[in-house]
Amino acid sequence: MTPAQNMFTFLSRQAVTAATPMILAGVGELVGELSGVINIGIEGTMLMGCIAAYTVTGVSGHGTVGLLAAMAAGMVMAVIFAAASVWGRADQIVAGTAMDLLGVGLSGMIWMMYQNWRENLGFSTALPRGSGFSAVPIPVLHDIAYLGPVLFDQYALCYVTIGLCVVMWWVLRRTRLGLIIRALGDAPEACHAAGVRVRLGRSLCLLFAGACSGAAGAYLSIMQTHAFASDMTGGEGFVVLALVIFGRWKLPGLIGGCLFFGLINSLQQTLQTARYASQNTALHALTHVPFQFFQMLPYLAAIIALAIMSRKAPGPRYINVPWPEVKT
Amino acid sequence: MIKRFLVNMWNAVTAVALAALVCAVVLALAIGAGALLGYPPIHLADLWLRGAAGSWYALSSSCADACPLLLTGLAAGVAFRAGVLNIGAQGQFLLGALVAVALTTRMMIFHQAELVIPTALIGGAVAGGLWGLIAQYLERYRSVPVVLSTILLNFVALYLAQAALQGPLQAVGTAAAESPEVAGKYWLPLFVPYTDFHIGIILALVLAILLWVLQQYTLFGFEARVVGLNPGTAKAMKMPVTIRQFQIMFISGACAGLGGAIQLLGQVHFMTAHMGNYGYAGIAVALLGRLNPLGIILSALFFGFLDTGAFRVEESSLALPHDMANVIKALVILVMLVLAGLSLRRARRAGRDAAGPSTPPMRESTL
Repeated sequence: MTPAQNMFTFLSRQAVTAATPMILAGVGELVGELSGVINIGIEGTMLMGCIAAYTVTGVSGHGTVGLLAAMAAGMVMAVIFAAASVWGRADQIVAGTAMDLLGVGLSGMIWMMYQNWRENLGFSTALPRGSGFSAVPIPVLHDIAYLGPVLFDQYALCYVTIGLCVVMWWVLRRTRLGLIIRALGDAPEACHAAGVRVRLGRSLCLLFAGACSGAAGAYLSIMQTHAFASDMTGGEGFVVLALVIFGRWKLPGLIGGCLFFGLINSLQQTLQTARYASQNTALHALTHVPFQFFQMLPYLAAIIALAIMSRKAPGPRYINVPWPEVKT
Repeated sequence: MIKRFLVNMWNAVTAVALAALVCAVVLALAIGAGALLGYPPIHLADLWLRGAAGSWYALSSSCADACPLLLTGLAAGVAFRAGVLNIGAQGQFLLGALVAVALTTRMMIFHQAELVIPTALIGGAVAGGLWGLIAQYLERYRSVPVVLSTILLNFVALYLAQAALQGPLQAVGTAAAESPEVAGKYWLPLFVPYTDFHIGIILALVLAILLWVLQQYTLFGFEARVVGLNPGTAKAMKMPVTIRQFQIMFISGACAGLGGAIQLLGQVHFMTAHMGNYGYAGIAVALLGRLNPLGIILSALFFGFLDTGAFRVEESSLALPHDMANVIKALVILVMLVLAGLSLRRARRAGRDAAGPSTPPMRESTL
């Protein structure tokens, strides 16, 4: 393989690795929004997933238990959010902001208390050896040129995500369940007339979204990094929100957006280091650009993408309208 | 006029009573939860109160902490009232502080404190306002929801501030992203010596009262509220909807930017990119104050006391993490929202049964 091909494979692999948690959280958020509930607080939910996965893995020594704990934590957050926004008729945008604040506060608090507790017991706060996940290459498939290392040399949760995407695409496009989910957000009164319980349905969609976001958090803390830091999601949850709109509430668009974002992210990380070693004058000239501008790039790209794409993308009609509607 | 004033006051009093009740219940629950986790409740409450208001100095640092919260709370409150969902106070706050630090350390045109301080404060406010206008432009002409663009712009502002603090604004002799300390003569003067009572607090209070008057007693405030409640009606009444939205966004961003500038010149005196999450907390402050500038004064004070007390508790032997304060804030917002949502529904139902005209409009009560 030529160095250029090598570089391209490397970048694509990084892009998929970085995009996985966003796709995972994005699928959940998409289902939630299609059912008529926008959850701004997935950032907080992901953080709760991160801390739950990290602490439970640290105590139990099993990554799988940690992953399940993260999904449970995400679902608990979803229950709180559903109680406020679906059953309590709170404004979803502001309730979502509160969920974000709650996730940041609670995860930071649990992290400090966990550190104190482990240190008092004389344990390290690092994960026990071998309890975090590492990449699992799939035996035969990962030898395929280009596609192999990019798609089949990833963390286990990445394969699950690919499967989930296929299943959800089928569910949303081809099944009665998918129709109901979309109708919850587009025509809740029709659902009601057909005997579907609107608030229950929305709550279940939110529960699914919570589990997805929790798992995405676990991916960040016990797979990708094997560490926890407060605010470690770094705005990824917010970017997911933007990407759902960017994909015009369609699964393929969302996945494409996440991969594009992941690619820009891996490109900027690579550029940050590569520009110093490069012989190429144009690339070398980039050494004068402060590295923060590279970090800014994904967010700028998201804003620009939204500015270009979000015209004529109406989305579910009943987003942020509590059921049952009250007419004046 | 007098009757309207009395009605306003009565509304304010009931709102305050409700908010106080919610806060008391949530605080009691928090202390109860602390007791379950093994933190002695009486000792905890005692430490918290002493840390927040136990001495003249503690009192002043609570008020100084409430000052940026008041300004970001006003930023959120003014915008939400007009239906502009500005969640970008965090970025606007940072940029305000950034411009203020630039104007007081590196880009000084004058050297008299009487000129430099106002320039820095106004510069910070204008920077915050312009940053907000970007989001409003994207909403109006590119249909990007303000909620999303302001959040994303927060991160752009954060990295912009870090780049500046590690570049042109970096202090000499450090590798960290921090600015040099602002010269003492440019600090906001204290009105009680040897405390944290700086004149920025008075400035913020005056601004809150001015905004209240603007909102309640002027044509501008009325139009802004109508635009928030129902843009269609506003348009039918030939109100300049777009212009009002841009103006409100500028005022909102300017409040947040001024908050950053005041926090910098009055309290911390040098800048890092981590100046606390006042921007996000401002949303909670605004909601607890029910979007009323006078209510926001009280809720900012409450949050200031909560934060300052929480830091003292963390420093004490109990070592309860100060993030507890954030959890309490989030719970307060959720409870307030649910109360507003449910009371709205009840009011609508009652209104429909009695066919009464006094059904509260949607936006105002939900937020």
